[in-house]
Amino acid sequence: MSDAAILSCSGLTIGYRNQKTIVKEVATDLNLHLDRGEVVCLIGPNGSGKSTLIRTLTGIQPPLDGEVRLCNRRIEEYGPEERATTLSVVLTGQIQAGYLTAFDIVALGRFPYTNWAGKLTESDRAIVYSALASVGAADLSGRFIHEMSDGERQKVMIARALAQEPELMVLDEPTAFLDLPHKIETMRILRQVARKNKKAILLSTHDLNTAIRCADQLWIIDREGTLVAGTPEDLVLSGIFGSAFAIEGVCFDTRRGEFSIPVDHRGTFTLTAPEESVERIWTLYALERIGYAPAGEAEAGIHVMVTKDSLRTRWHVRHSCGERECGSIRELIEWLSTTEGDEN
Amino acid sequence: MKLDGSDNGDSMRKFILALPLIAGFLVAVFLLDLMLGAVNIPPDAILTIISGGTVKATWMNIFWDWRVPKAVTALCAGGALALSGLLMQTFFRNPLADPYILGISSGASLGVAIIMMSAGIFGAGAVLAGLGILGNMSISVAAIIGAFAVLLLILLISSKIQSNMTILILGIMVSYMSGAIVTILLQFSDESSMHTYSLWTFGSFSGVTWSQLPILTFLILIGFLLSFCLVKPLNALLLGEQYAESMGMNYRRIRIIIISTTALMAGVVTAFCGPIGFLGIAIPHFCRAVFVSADHRVLVPACILVGGIIAIVTDIISRVPGTDIILPLNAITALFGAPVVIWVILRGTKFGRGVTT
Repeated sequence: MSDAAILSCSGLTIGYRNQKTIVKEVATDLNLHLDRGEVVCLIGPNGSGKSTLIRTLTGIQPPLDGEVRLCNRRIEEYGPEERATTLSVVLTGQIQAGYLTAFDIVALGRFPYTNWAGKLTESDRAIVYSALASVGAADLSGRFIHEMSDGERQKVMIARALAQEPELMVLDEPTAFLDLPHKIETMRILRQVARKNKKAILLSTHDLNTAIRCADQLWIIDREGTLVAGTPEDLVLSGIFGSAFAIEGVCFDTRRGEFSIPVDHRGTFTLTAPEESVERIWTLYALERIGYAPAGEAEAGIHVMVTKDSLRTRWHVRHSCGERECGSIRELIEWLSTTEGDEN
Repeated sequence: MKLDGSDNGDSMRKFILALPLIAGFLVAVFLLDLMLGAVNIPPDAILTIISGGTVKATWMNIFWDWRVPKAVTALCAGGALALSGLLMQTFFRNPLADPYILGISSGASLGVAIIMMSAGIFGAGAVLAGLGILGNMSISVAAIIGAFAVLLLILLISSKIQSNMTILILGIMVSYMSGAIVTILLQFSDESSMHTYSLWTFGSFSGVTWSQLPILTFLILIGFLLSFCLVKPLNALLLGEQYAESMGMNYRRIRIIIISTTALMAGVVTAFCGPIGFLGIAIPHFCRAVFVSADHRVLVPACILVGGIIAIVTDIISRVPGTDIILPLNAITALFGAPVVIWVILRGTKFGRGVTT
């Protein structure tokens, strides 16, 4: 498996060498590998060295120790053009360029292949169009980049990286300024590109929830520069995921697989609802959000029962000071808040 | 789909279609520039001269020694300024960049000011006698030395510095410094050298003699040629230096070539014509808006041609045809050029474009 690795590194130490003597090590002894068709999300808190790792893995910055191998060759051995045909990047932040169409931008991806004037051949054109089609941006081809939405621009930038026909694509926070549906769409496009076009994809992101659901592998760096690699589910189960990001006031919900906002504890509840129903899940979330924790029948402070017929859903709630039938979760929460004082 | 943009080389095709028109216009204004002037030479006399015939000796002299070098100079200088402005705007990714942003013309001005005014300060005889061999070349030589010194300084520092924003600030600082020295020189110089200096800063296409013309055209053609060789890296730089490098461009080498090419063209124009403003900053924007493209394969030839046309037209206007009044070239470039550029750019905003590099 490791000979198929597109990108691998062994005993890698990353960091900065300011003068001859001052060395700042960001992370040491990294052993990583990335296969064809795989999407890897690099995640870590701010200041953990994500950018340093990406810069080192893409050969922009020399490693302090160890080596990075791209397609089984040391990355330093690549000439600039050779590296450009093996590795392409999507940088963080938006490009500021006027009078450039999506086609023009994607066509720039052919830079390492074209002649001195950058003239596109028929096959270059075909590659540009197919790159645009791969990211679902075929209809954007003639549009100007400064007239596009953020989501559309990001598709075009991914298409540009794809048109460079690399083995490995590295994306620095490609979802940073997108809304949730576009984040998910971007991740879907990247997975598709990895599978269909047989590329290896490495991306850094701050978006843990999407990363857990979309990545084949997670590389997690914590503030001490320790890097753990593994499938998202394994990392969640072993608790590494939660501890790497633990900061005061925020904790990782292993059940939901996302970070939740801790709330003041208000009481306990039991919930009776049709098994596997959506209503059950969201009632649970609502109760947890306002500070109730699940408990057994005997010790629980409030009892909620959800009943559902073909017409409507009812929430029947009962505690020591009374009971009520509610037509929505909002009503349920409001009633609990107004009667909360009486309950204790 | 094709309505709102230049898809797959459309802008190139449109430009090639428009090329005969632009070239025809260029020839027309060039001929017009040869015909108009303080001395009225009838068009048929001009035609006779061009076709190799003989007319009145004074007309022949005015035509060959005065109008032809002036028109050729305007053509070259306009193209060179527009092109170096384009190079700087792309390089710094800043719509306000112009050919002089690196401080090249400030260096040239300093050279000229030193030559002109040191005469007054240290005694005219000594300095001018030393320059006698150079004759009227002395101003150009001084300007070239000044421009070259600034270029060396910029290249030396840029070899140690990664960020081109630092180079930008450096260029502006050099401009201020040479401006300061020029001001000090002005303070101590006599009135006549002050006047000569301010006349030089007005800019003019007519100071170039037949002996200087080959040097001017040769150097500027080298600049044009280098710019054509730079179209691909310039296009890559539209996405920023990091993207350009990731696509296999050797940024350090390209940076040196871009800076040197700009310095060559801006320096030569300043040396022979004085610090001509406006054309360098405005024509690239004008070309981008007219050809609706950021592709340098279109913009490089477009800037050369349009720059040449506008420089010649400016020259015609500044001589106020039919009179012997000569207005400062620098005033005319801005006064007549700015409204045109404003119109073109505002017209673009209807489609949400406006000024963009």
